[in-house]
Amino acid sequence: MRLLICIKQVPDSTTRVKVAPDGTSIVTDGITWSISPYDEYAIELALEQKDNAADTVVSVISVGGPRTKDALRQALAMGCDDATLVTGEGADTLGPLGIANALKSAIDELKPDLVLCGKQASDDDQGFVGPALAEALGWPHVAVVTKVAPSAAGTEIWKEVEGGHEVWKASGAAVLTVQKSEKEPRYPSLPGIMKAKKKEIPERPVTGVEDPVTIEIVKLEPPPARGGGKIFKDGDVKAHAAALATLLRDEAKVL
Amino acid sequence: MKIWVLAEKKDGQLRRVSRELAAKAALLGDATVIEVMGERVSAAAAADALAERAKTDAPDLVLAGATPSGRDIAARLAATLRRAYLSECTDVTIDGTSVEASRGMYAGKVRARVRAPLPAVCSVRPNAFPLVDGAAEPQVASVAAGDAPGLTFVRFEPTASSGGRVTLSEARVIVSGGRGLKGPEAWAQVEALADVLGAALGASRAVTDAGWRPNEEQVGQTGKTVTPDLYIALGISGAIQHLAGMTSSKVIVAVNKDPDADIFKVADYGIVGDVFEFLPAFTDAVKQAKAGA
Ligand SMILES: Cc1cc2nc3c(=O)[nH]c(=O)nc-3n(C[C@H](O)[C@H](O)[C@H](O)COP(=O)(O)OP(=O)(O)OC[C@H]3O[C@@H](n4cnc5c(N)ncnc54)[C@H](O)[C@@H]3O)c2cc1C
Ligand SMILES: Nc1ncnc2c1ncn2[C@@H]1O[C@H](COP(=O)(O)O)[C@@H](O)[C@H]1O
Repeated sequence: MRLLICIKQVPDSTTRVKVAPDGTSIVTDGITWSISPYDEYAIELALEQKDNAADTVVSVISVGGPRTKDALRQALAMGCDDATLVTGEGADTLGPLGIANALKSAIDELKPDLVLCGKQASDDDQGFVGPALAEALGWPHVAVVTKVAPSAAGTEIWKEVEGGHEVWKASGAAVLTVQKSEKEPRYPSLPGIMKAKKKEIPERPVTGVEDPVTIEIVKLEPPPARGGGKIFKDGDVKAHAAALATLLRDEAKVL
Repeated sequence: MKIWVLAEKKDGQLRRVSRELAAKAALLGDATVIEVMGERVSAAAAADALAERAKTDAPDLVLAGATPSGRDIAARLAATLRRAYLSECTDVTIDGTSVEASRGMYAGKVRARVRAPLPAVCSVRPNAFPLVDGAAEPQVASVAAGDAPGLTFVRFEPTASSGGRVTLSEARVIVSGGRGLKGPEAWAQVEALADVLGAALGASRAVTDAGWRPNEEQVGQTGKTVTPDLYIALGISGAIQHLAGMTSSKVIVAVNKDPDADIFKVADYGIVGDVFEFLPAFTDAVKQAKAGA
């Protein structure tokens, strides 16, 4: 079984994102870049399959500029077998349908049995590339996936829904967009890091990829400032609790 | 301008978010509320059925609720139609040939105004648009979904603890607990408060990771993004990844024994103190306040 995870490099989750003076981009100086969080869960899900069946091959792929190699190397250090970078001019400005098309042409050659994406990337927060890739490939997809297990003639896939999980079965190839699961993504091991350093990361050109629609960013803004709230610091918690209920009803009008 | 609203039902009733979107769509243009018939239809099958109908209907804009299922079908439909897709919008306006929307980016740390050419597909957050008082229940058209090759539904596995409450992403009031609650036992008290408020339950990741509460209750960057009228954070420190999911709430209440906890920086009302002292007293006080005392 060959699993392929599509990963995106994004600002690390602890980054305090600042809007640049142009008002349509963010300040990238000093940002630590890492694998988008849900993509890490997808890697973990795939590596668990490999833990259970040693003949499983886990590959990663990313579309992006040169620094994207660091994210791919991080995935190799976690235990993935190989990595591919789709790059070239415009690779880091492609829209979601363009990225899906770039990934599709690589997947046509790499021929994985399952493709895993994150539920959404933590920069554009869209959740479009996974379903768009499935559509481009003509494959089914399952969203909000928390678990997979091989089964007779296919793969069982757990999808988080309100009040529980639906279990679906894919008889052949499918795209899964992965949700956070109980199992935290593993950390790279020291031998893993050493091995990852030596691995070749083959590149594929992004040229000729079609990107049918452009989404324009008109304006970026920090969320409205909050704070300056009424904070009860000293005194009797019980009395404050009672006062708070009245404030919520009469002042904030939310009760 | 032709607007489609993808209808979502729960227990046979149109969901609130679908009704919110129907009201908005009627303001934007010629609205059709449309439902994909069938249980457990895969996103590809639903998108195919909708795309078939779109050939004749040619909607300029498709709106879906930003629920897990709404987002799934909307994204696949946009890909099928090769149109722009904007997810989790909090506002949508049309100016002739393009749609402009407000939405979060960078895990909710930035608010973006984005523009895409029409036709386009948007998923829209619950509570983004008001319901019109006394409005008639919208007419719902339907399409029948075919099979999704290669994918079959096998079974449903319910989560033990989550029955009977409003869903987190649609809730007007959320009571959310963090590691400060010390263990799963404390949720008896959290639930007592949630019952009085008619609230949904939320949690920090520390809580879901520890297995005190199911994953689906997690709020934040790797959990749900929520926008209720009232968010009550109990024993939650206010890590940046938690704030990313809840700072767009209308009113935030925080209870934490540490006066320097970051959660107080976003709180409209805060109480520095022991959450276990706070909970029973506040539950009683809410009961009384609601009774008009
Ligand atoms: C990639 C990534 C993604 C993440 N995504 C999320 C996410 O989606 N959601 C999320 O929540 N976190 C997320 N986190 C984790 C986040 O960084 C924090 O670790 C987490 O939010 C902490 O949870 P907490 O506030 O419950 O616990 P703590 O930070 O341990 O805070 C507990 C608080 O309780 C207070 N307290 C203790 N006892 C009492 C008492 N008796 N009465 C009152 N107060 C008390 C303490 O003062 C403290 O402030 C993510 C982290 C990473 C790296
Ligand atoms: N540039 C990219 N290269 C590889 N995979 C990507 C890229 N962008 C997005 N993805 C995948 O698609 C998922 C959803 O991304 P998005 O639609 O941008 O929210 C991500 O979690 C990745 O798995």
